[in-house]
Formats: sequence, structure tokens, C-alpha cells
Amino acid sequence: MNSITLKTFASFVILVLFQVFIFNQMNLFGYINPMLYVLFLVNYRFDRNQTLFIFIGFLLGFFIDLMSQTGGAHTIASLSVSFLRPIIIRNAFGITAELPKSFQSDPRIINKAVFLLFFILLHHLIYFVVVYFSWDAFSLILKSTSLTAFFSLLLVVIISSLFKPTK
Amino acid sequence: MQRIINALVQFRNPILYFFLLGFSLLFLSSRSSFHQNKIGELGFYFSSGLYEFSNSINQYFDLKEKNRILHQENTQLKALALKKNAPFLYDPYLGNPKRFPFKIRNVNVIKNSLLNQRNYIIIDKGTEDGVQTEVGVITSNGILGIVKSVSKKYASVISILHQDLKINVRFKHSNAFGSLVWKGKGPTEFSVEDIVSSAQLQLGDTIITGGMSSYFPYGIPLGTITHIENDSNSGYYIMTAELFENPSQVYAAYVIENKFKGEIDFLNKEAKP
Repeated sequence: MNSITLKTFASFVILVLFQVFIFNQMNLFGYINPMLYVLFLVNYRFDRNQTLFIFIGFLLGFFIDLMSQTGGAHTIASLSVSFLRPIIIRNAFGITAELPKSFQSDPRIINKAVFLLFFILLHHLIYFVVVYFSWDAFSLILKSTSLTAFFSLLLVVIISSLFKPTK
Repeated sequence: MQRIINALVQFRNPILYFFLLGFSLLFLSSRSSFHQNKIGELGFYFSSGLYEFSNSINQYFDLKEKNRILHQENTQLKALALKKNAPFLYDPYLGNPKRFPFKIRNVNVIKNSLLNQRNYIIIDKGTEDGVQTEVGVITSNGILGIVKSVSKKYASVISILHQDLKINVRFKHSNAFGSLVWKGKGPTEFSVEDIVSSAQLQLGDTIITGGMSSYFPYGIPLGTITHIENDSNSGYYIMTAELFENPSQVYAAYVIENKFKGEIDFLNKEAKP
């Protein structure tokens, strides 16, 4: 087991624990719970096996759901977003350009910002659609998605800037 | 075989994704009853259209049977409604105060006409079903006629659209009574005769059966007064009435039989020397 796998595994465990025991209890303004665990799906190296990544995304959501006693909304959101990640990468970083090896290693800030924004918005949209699961709550879904996505984005940017990019 | 495996390998990501998505949906529905209901609703939304379609076809096939059952049910309800109309004989504290010696059977009209001045109707029940002569036939919104002759399975009815038939009637808001007679104009256009001009009447009052014949019970609504004219020469009103229901377009009817008709007829005979 090499050091990258070990680090990935450690970050998986730490993010799940942080999400369950800290961020899911935050209740900012009464209902906003930022989702930091998206950081794991963002930081997972782009050049790895996609099939394995889908499975890891599934496991990530599944563990969070299991531990925080919620339904399956985290599972479905993170599974879907990890399945769709190559599409978002292609759209954010361009098809013709050489694909970066990981999110951290790429120097282009605008592309990174676009990627992050799309990724988090999509994840949160799927999450809240599954949570409310009703056409009547359409405006509520949009509101929750945009507000929570804002705080998640803020947290992801702050936390990822604290750590040095992996080479 | 090789191709299948190749395809599986090529599409392994979507296959894995949908497999895990299905798993997480199961997980979701097992943990949250709200989502279980919602997913159930979604399934129901798709299946209900199909069920509705098949149900509408199935229903079409037993419409006839359904009609028969409804007609039978209506017969019972009709009896209850008419019994409720019946006048009180004595104080209700002394037990069942209403006198309703009528028995109701449902029949179907199989031949009807309005073109003659004296019309007859044929109904699909006869002596085998207990229909006798000289009993009344009513519909859901009025009366149809009086049974004239009966065969084994059919009976012929003097229609209310018959110039010689007079029906004893009275009014909802007045105690005056008279006779309802068809003059051979429209199938709902009748005239009411034999009402003395001293009676207080108003236009639009409802005409009901008077209960003074042995054919029909008291209180079946028949129609409304459309025209009143006080004829000072004869001392009677000249009055026209409009029926609620066109008797020539009736399909379902009820034979209403008075259990004490024999006694009444006997007394009538005695009275006439």
C-alpha cells in the first residue's frame, strides 16, 4: 500500500468523521449544513480508475448516511456526482487541453473555480432533490441548494488552501 | 460471448453506476418511510394509467349487469322514499305511524310510443314475476301509467299519454285536488282539470299524486304548473302543467302494487248500488 493510497484512505475516514460529527450538526441559520466531504471527490486524482472511483463515491455517501442516520440522499448524490465527474472535468478544463492529473495540481484558477462550482452545485442539487422528492418543493430545493452550496464552496476552498497540493 | 464480455467491460461504469443507484434507492426506501411512499407513488403513477385503461374496458363489459343491480337498488330506495312521503296516520310516538301498503318491483320498458292519442307501453315482466293487472307503474321522476293486461312474461300498460286516463293529483302548497289529463299535444304537456276556482293556487307549484286512488301512493312529484286561468263561467280553473320527465323516453320503471287493492275495490262496489 503506497503513500497516496494511504493518504486517500486517511482523508476518506477523516472527512466522513468530520462530516458526520461536526458539519451535519452545524445548522447555520437553522438549516444549512455544509458538505465538506465533497472535497474528497474533488481531490481524488483524475487519472485513476473511474470504476473504482464510482464505487468509492458510493461508499463515501453510504457511510455518511449510515452514521448520520439519514436516508440515502448522500449516497445517491455522491454516487451520481462521481459517475458524472469525467463529464464535468471535460467541460471545465476543456477537451483538447491536456487533462490535469488531479484537481490540486492544475494551475488554472478559473477552470478550477468553474469545476468546483459545477461539481458542488450538481452534488447539492441531486442531494436536495432526493431529500425533498416532490415537485411542490421546487423553490425550496433551489433555495437550499444555492445557500448550502455557497457555504460548502467556501469551506472546500478554505480547507483545500490549508493543505499543500500533492505532487 | 466475447462480444458480450467486451460490451460489459466497455460499459462497466454506467452498469456499476445504475447498479449502485438501484441499491441506494432500495437503501433509501428501506430507511425512510417518506421516500418509500414517494417511490411507491411514482410506481403507482405509471401503473395507474394502465390499470385505468384495463378497468375502463372491463367496466364496459358488465355495464348491463351493473344497470340491473342499480335498478334493483333503486327499487328499494324508491320504496323507502315513497314511504317517507306517506301521510302520518297517528302520532309517531305510538310506534310505526305510516301506512304504506305498496310493493315495488323493477321493470324495463321494451316498447313505448307517443304518436297516438291513446298510447300503450309494454314492460318486460308478467305474471311469472308477480305483476297483476290494474296496478300503477311509476318512473324515477313521475308516473308512467297503469297495467292493463298481463301475459306470462310481459305486461301492457296504459300510458299516462292516453287521453282517457285521469290521474288524481294535488299540490305541494295547496290542498286543492284535481285530475291530470293528457290533451295529446307535447309528451310533457298536460292539463289539470276539476279544480274549483275558490282554491288558492300559485304558478310554479309542484303537482304531486293525490293518493286517493288505489294505484299510486301519496306524494310522487309529477311536474309544475305553467299556466293558470280562472274560468268564471264554469267555476273551475283552466290549468296546464309541465311534467318533470318525458314519459315516452323512459327505460327503467317500477310497478307499484297496492296490497289492499282488493278491499278498496270491494268497498267501491258496495258503495255503488
